[in-house]
Amino acid sequence: MTPNGIPIGDVLLASAALFTIGLAGALLRRNAISIFLSIELMMNAANLAILGYASALHSLEGQIVVFFVIAIAAAEAAVGLAIFVALFRHTETIDVNKINLLKW
Amino acid sequence: MTARFAFDAAMALAILFAGVMVVHRHPVKSVLALVVSFFALAVGYVLLSAPLIAAIQVIVYAGAILVLFLFVLMLLNVPAEVRQTPGRPIHHTLSAGAIVAFAAALLAVFRSYGASSAPPGPLPANPADLAPLAKLLFSDHILSFEALSILLLAALVGAFALARREGSP
Repeated sequence: MTPNGIPIGDVLLASAALFTIGLAGALLRRNAISIFLSIELMMNAANLAILGYASALHSLEGQIVVFFVIAIAAAEAAVGLAIFVALFRHTETIDVNKINLLKW
Repeated sequence: MTARFAFDAAMALAILFAGVMVVHRHPVKSVLALVVSFFALAVGYVLLSAPLIAAIQVIVYAGAILVLFLFVLMLLNVPAEVRQTPGRPIHHTLSAGAIVAFAAALLAVFRSYGASSAPPGPLPANPADLAPLAKLLFSDHILSFEALSILLLAALVGAFALARREGSP
């Protein structure tokens, strides 16, 4: 139970639902950018669980961890999108089924 | 009790728009749905007494990262996914099975850990007071904070090196 009276179960349920939706997107989409968006959603689901526990345990460390996660997500987005731009320049597509150089 | 109701409503909105994000075939509409989802999550963060993280969520996530996605989508002119006519039934069955199994496992883990109540520490004074948070960040975690600045610089240089046209200076 957090200080505001939100049960930790509600937070974890929402986090699990968001993470599962993100996983479904990462598995079912074929557009590389949509897959990347799904991964961002999964990261947010993890952040939500961390903040829920931090709030329930009256700890500030959780907020610090989430702060770092968001900063790393920003770095990851910059590099990932640069990879997509370079990929698009080479192959004219970002459909992951058509990018099969490393598949056999 | 009202906080719980507001939190549940915000999470329902976040989950709804996350679903819209996954289902939509057009990537630009996916990004816009995810923006709504992230705003709803920021409301949830405020109710979990983390107002600074909520502000960062709105400014950095919804404001910067997703706008970067939109820029790249506009730059590449990505078309909407077309429905595959032959389809891949095995792939879809396996994916659906994996998703259901994963959701069940996640719920089981959360059910077993959610009930366990570690003794909470002393209640932090006022969640809107950022001084304790800043003190923690710039004393115990100062090394990680500085490493983060180097990581961001490396990401900046890496993104530039990856995205520039080959042969250009």
